[in-house]
Amino acid sequence: MSVMQGLRLAAVGIAAGTCVLLVLGILQVFGLIDSINADEIPLWMVPFIVVALLAPTAVGLAIAIRQPRNVIAWILLVGAFAIVALTGPDLIFTDGWALQVGRATWPLLYAWPIAVTYVFPNGRFLSRRWRYIGAAGALSFVGFMAMAMFDPEPFYGEDASVPNPMAGNAVGEWLNDSGVGLVWVVLWVGILGSLVAGALAIRMRLRRSSGVERLQTLWLAWAGALIPLGLLLCGLSSFVLGDSLVDWVLFPFLLLMEAAVAAAVGLAVSRHGLYTIERLVNRTAVYAALTVLLIALYAGSALSLGVVIGGGSAWVTALATLAVAVAFRPLRSRIQDLVDRRYARARYEGVRRVRGFEDEVRDGRRAPEEIGPVLREALGDPGADVHFWLPSAGEFCDVSGAVVTAQADDRARTEVERDGVSVAALLHDPALLERQDLLRGVLDASRLTLEMARLRVELRLQLAEVEASRTRIVEAGYEERRRLERDLHDGAQQRLVSLGVQIRRLQRTLPKDAAILGPTLDKIVDEVGAAIADLRQIAAGVRPARLDDGLAAALRDLARSSPIPVDVSVPAERVPTSVEAAAYFVACEALTNAVKYASASKVAVRAVRENGTLFVSIADDGLGGAVVRRGRGLAGLEDRVAAHGGTLTVVSPRGGGTRVEVAIPCES
Amino acid sequence: MRIVIAEDAVLLREGLAGLLEDAGHDVVARVGDAESLLAVVAEHEPDLAIVDVRMPPTYEDEGMLAAVEMRRLHPRTAVLVLSQHVESRHAVELVGSGNGFGYLLKDRVLEVDDFLEAVERVSGGGSALDPEVVKQLLAPPGEGDALASLTPREREVLGLMAEGRTNGGIARQLWLTEKTVETHVSSILGKLGLAQDGDTHRRVMAVVTYLRRAAPA
Repeated sequence: MSVMQGLRLAAVGIAAGTCVLLVLGILQVFGLIDSINADEIPLWMVPFIVVALLAPTAVGLAIAIRQPRNVIAWILLVGAFAIVALTGPDLIFTDGWALQVGRATWPLLYAWPIAVTYVFPNGRFLSRRWRYIGAAGALSFVGFMAMAMFDPEPFYGEDASVPNPMAGNAVGEWLNDSGVGLVWVVLWVGILGSLVAGALAIRMRLRRSSGVERLQTLWLAWAGALIPLGLLLCGLSSFVLGDSLVDWVLFPFLLLMEAAVAAAVGLAVSRHGLYTIERLVNRTAVYAALTVLLIALYAGSALSLGVVIGGGSAWVTALATLAVAVAFRPLRSRIQDLVDRRYARARYEGVRRVRGFEDEVRDGRRAPEEIGPVLREALGDPGADVHFWLPSAGEFCDVSGAVVTAQADDRARTEVERDGVSVAALLHDPALLERQDLLRGVLDASRLTLEMARLRVELRLQLAEVEASRTRIVEAGYEERRRLERDLHDGAQQRLVSLGVQIRRLQRTLPKDAAILGPTLDKIVDEVGAAIADLRQIAAGVRPARLDDGLAAALRDLARSSPIPVDVSVPAERVPTSVEAAAYFVACEALTNAVKYASASKVAVRAVRENGTLFVSIADDGLGGAVVRRGRGLAGLEDRVAAHGGTLTVVSPRGGGTRVEVAIPCES
Repeated sequence: MRIVIAEDAVLLREGLAGLLEDAGHDVVARVGDAESLLAVVAEHEPDLAIVDVRMPPTYEDEGMLAAVEMRRLHPRTAVLVLSQHVESRHAVELVGSGNGFGYLLKDRVLEVDDFLEAVERVSGGGSALDPEVVKQLLAPPGEGDALASLTPREREVLGLMAEGRTNGGIARQLWLTEKTVETHVSSILGKLGLAQDGDTHRRVMAVVTYLRRAAPA
């Protein structure tokens, strides 16, 4: 049997022991077994006692079975067992002893919750110094209980008839007489001090820890804080409503708090992520403060009205109630705001940050896509990244539109949805998962902006895709022209030349008496030659072969074939061939227009390359007044230039000549 | 004269070979790509290689590159490049850089006598530049250009000089006497500031080089 199994068995044993003793105790309370102690306990208290003892036992057992080495489990198990064994059924002790032990061991009720606060949640003390504090606390409890055991004072109340078995014992008398009894005070201070130290330990852990540990501690802090809070409320209500409630309320309340601490520990260890503890703390703080203030208000107004109107008047009660009712709503929101600021500061600031950004977006000062850094700031997670959902691609992309593949790091991932449709995903520190309040709050606040950013990123991507496809189509067009030109030269033209050569050979081998055919054959060959020239012309129109030599060479050829003087000033350096082709066809069209419609007498073609852009201008001295009309020569070229990401502008004042300018990006 | 032909269109290649053989030349090899051309030229060391510019595998300018390579490896073999269209990138340079080089459009073959004359001229160390290319070199004269000072007749004569023709050839073409042509030639050379040279080949080179420098391309 392994150590683990041994520990588990021991835990089951202790829990079973607790249960057996508890059952026996209950039987005594119901009078089924004779007991003197049981008489003190009213029947209605039984459920509270059962819960207060079974809760730590059950939680301790549950933890011990899963994590047998968890110290917390043993504190709970042993704590509950000790209480039930010492204060419970008087099996071991006879009447007097039972009363004496019960009188001495009440601090046990507080011992285990305090012990938990020292080592929760990891089972270790905060530091070496805290071990001494823990030891001092334990000493105080043990010392107190030991001295109480020796107390020779007689019992009082209903038990006064039972003799104290310690009466007249030498140690007790000596303690009482010698003044060593002052040690009581020290031990009392020790017990109270250990309680304060426990609160301090929780507070320090809350400050030092983060993530899961912090949340677990928060659970404990919440349950632990209920005890003093409950005491305060009971005290206040008894002050207002009278003493009768104390017995009925205070003790059951304390027992329930015991169960609450155990439950909180259990939740903290097993299900800390299940409930939003931060929200629970927040609400508890708000409503506790509200209740305290309302009671105070009721008491204050009842008291002062009682002085004015006279106590016991129905008016006093009515008016005090009215005051409370009126104050409720404004007080609640005011306290909520205060608590939010104090206890949910991160969420409060985070949401405020996002709202501020939203305002900036609305005012047009920022773009929604800039939300990434804002979320990092709002969540306090510098490593967070936002990815946007692309429904068309079925993938996520980053803000630049690059598709993100499977995540490589161990960041957590939280998706943001809108009407059940994914909008974005946030990759963030897993610790944020434990702070759902902050995470959800901030993401909910930024949902609309995220959706806007997503749409903009998607739109930009689609636009880029359309632009790229337009460029591809135009480039494919150039390639097609090139192929066509090639086919004309190497296909049809070649065949015609070969045909001509054959006719010539035929002509030269004709017998002398067939010489009469000579002129006819000459004519045929002339026709073939003309056809070849025509084809060459057509091919040049489809795509001038001179473009192979660059834009400058092609434009000079163009200038030479022009009926009016064309001044060409083009650098010899090369740019991508598709850009050259686009520029060439624009110049060609502009030149044709200048000759055909503008009655120009001369044209100047200028090209210059600057900052990765090719600028070409074609200026004539003709009539001007040209407009770019849809579907006509220059408009088609405008589309072609735009496909390369360029622009085409026409300046053509009536009577002032026409100037066509093209700017086409040409990365080198 | 021993000739090799590199032309990928078989019909044209055979027609061309027939024409040359009819004229009494010896076509020693017919190939369809640049690689085989260099091989047969190395093997036969012919007087002349007639080369198509576009040949397999890419149909770009294999023929022209092979021509440049032949000039380097086999300077005694003259080269006549045939093209479907004017692509003067290398042509003008090659004509201006040495003897025994010609560049003609393919349809010049149909003027059989002119073509055979060009073949003779090139293989004899002369040159031949297609009139289409010459036209590009000559036009258009800018202001203050020495070419602008030529008379129309002189421009005509200059063009024929650039094509590689001899004085006799020019005279025949223009229906002039050789004497008149000589007068025009010395006037042209004077106006352009070129040396008076009796040697036709050197004169052509000087003229082409001049025009190439003057031309903006």
